[in-house]
Amino acid sequence: MTYFYDGGKQGFLTALALSFRDKDAVLTAGNAQLSLGQQTVFVSGDPARAAAVEKRLLSFDKHCMKDLDLLLRSGDEGKDGVAFAYFRLLAQEKRPVRDMLALPAALAAAECMRRVGTELHRMRGFLRFMESASGALYAPCSPDNDLVDLLLPHFRARLPRYPFVIHDVKRKKAAVYDGAHAFNAPLAQAEVLLSADEQAWQELWRKYYKIVNIPERERLKQMRGYLPVRYRKFMNEFFGENAPL
Amino acid sequence: MISLEKLAILTDGAKFDVSCSSSGSNRKNAGGMGNGFAAGCCHSFTPDGRCVSLLKILMSNDCVYDCKYCLNRVSLDKPRATATVDELCELVLDFYKRNYIEGLFLSSAVHVSPDHTMEQLVRVVKKLRTECNFHGYIHVKGIPKADGALAREAARYADRMSYNIELPTEQSLKLLAPQKSKESLLAPMTALQREREQFLGEKRKGHFLPAGQTTQMIIGASPERDGQILRLSQSLYRRRSLKRVYYSSYMPVVHDSLLPDLPAGALREHRLYQADWLLRFYGFSVEELLGEDENLSPEFDPKCAWALKNMHLFPVEVNRAPLEILLRVPGIGGRSAQKIVEARKYTALNFEQLQKMRVVLKRARHFITANGKFFGTENVSALRGFLTDGETVKAEQLSLFSAPPIARSALTGEL
Repeated sequence: MTYFYDGGKQGFLTALALSFRDKDAVLTAGNAQLSLGQQTVFVSGDPARAAAVEKRLLSFDKHCMKDLDLLLRSGDEGKDGVAFAYFRLLAQEKRPVRDMLALPAALAAAECMRRVGTELHRMRGFLRFMESASGALYAPCSPDNDLVDLLLPHFRARLPRYPFVIHDVKRKKAAVYDGAHAFNAPLAQAEVLLSADEQAWQELWRKYYKIVNIPERERLKQMRGYLPVRYRKFMNEFFGENAPL
Repeated sequence: MISLEKLAILTDGAKFDVSCSSSGSNRKNAGGMGNGFAAGCCHSFTPDGRCVSLLKILMSNDCVYDCKYCLNRVSLDKPRATATVDELCELVLDFYKRNYIEGLFLSSAVHVSPDHTMEQLVRVVKKLRTECNFHGYIHVKGIPKADGALAREAARYADRMSYNIELPTEQSLKLLAPQKSKESLLAPMTALQREREQFLGEKRKGHFLPAGQTTQMIIGASPERDGQILRLSQSLYRRRSLKRVYYSSYMPVVHDSLLPDLPAGALREHRLYQADWLLRFYGFSVEELLGEDENLSPEFDPKCAWALKNMHLFPVEVNRAPLEILLRVPGIGGRSAQKIVEARKYTALNFEQLQKMRVVLKRARHFITANGKFFGTENVSALRGFLTDGETVKAEQLSLFSAPPIARSALTGEL
């Protein structure tokens, strides 16, 4: 049977409970190719049931909800299946399965979580703020995984006096810090009136980036490995004459 | 705001400094801007493959010294510039705010005198920390022969300091950097190390170089062997508690009869870093790796070369070998070793599982057994062939006027 859920934590845990005894269960939040005669169930989140499942899973592994959070944020197509297999394994083993890397379910989940974690770390560095006329900072981005709200605590800790918006252009949502509170908000498009000096600072940064390079030691492949081209479209050092090849 | 020209001149002078790491400090934000991120953070990568983490800049490139290898030496006719304290502070804050950088790497040519230069550096750091309330990462380069009190003052505000050793022996220093001596470089390092140990021992409040000290050496400008260089690195790690030694392969940016005309090449630098990692994270000592008058092999990485000399220790069984032995297997790094140790608690691992766990077996399969099975070759000469596969030593056609890689005069000490 194929279980469709809403992509959220509650829906996932409810679907997990419903499908636990179904050996051929497939879990998905997106589109799935159904075979002839395949049955489908649309699961809506049941708070009481989800809470009970969560409590039971936490008794097996007290960090498992952090794993679920990371897995559901993944932009991979098969992430629902990966998360489903991982939590079924956890429920079967009744002990932490994170390090059982010889088992395909644990390995796939570890890889998926690693990808989200890696991108989170990358985005901490690759995000570029621009200053608006009001002094607030705005950073557009389109990460592979749904993680803008995970970036909030990092930038809130280092820029406590500056309101900022981190805008996920692809998912049309934003993580916002208004100088006192942090929250998430849907945001389709943003118009930013730049401050008077913004262009000049961006110019200085482009100059710096160009000069600090040692042209005699060109290693473009290495650069691409560390800084994939898809991240460069929001990084102003790659605008103008430094545009990616 | 600093002008584009000044920024270009001062960055150009600093770009050959290798150190750009921002790790090791977890300084908290105390109300102003910035904090330390202990894991370090890269903000961009340049086409030469290096990361941009810190704003690497000179306070001034107007030098009174005349070190032969240096771009900023006094005898060179080039545009000179000196930044003011305010210009630098403003630049750091505005770049940091936009998340361009993780902090500042501040260095300087010896402008007017060592004391004057160090004083200027201290003024920048102090202003950033006290007036501007900046808590991001700051790396300050120590100026040799400056007063010890100034260095201590800088250390109270900076996260990391470094004195560049530049050349591995006193003899080469005398030849190529006559105004510097080994003593003038090592003495301040030792003084700061003692002060830091005392600070940590007394559990005092505040900071004193939370990310420690580093240094840098130029490789290939003088005739020292890798064995000599790595012995120096090992003693710096063990006796002076340095966090990192950086190696910078020599590039002929200035021409001088005492300097080689050809660059030392990236491979030698790469091999030195590999060996350096073995010293710091893999439990090797330099005596195991190579003799004092030897160079690292260009064909094999240092761990492979060590393993080939010690074939009687292999193969090891991955399901039983302790972590420190796994770390000595060529091709198995820290992360793979850790994965193996965790995963084998639950089941005996075979080759297929290792492969799926992304343990790279290209080299490792010749040195391990998995569940009793061996998929490598035991013939050592065939093994050498397998391990060098794909790696070739770069050769080039020399012209009649090409200079030998190392200037003879540097070798013999003749002037």
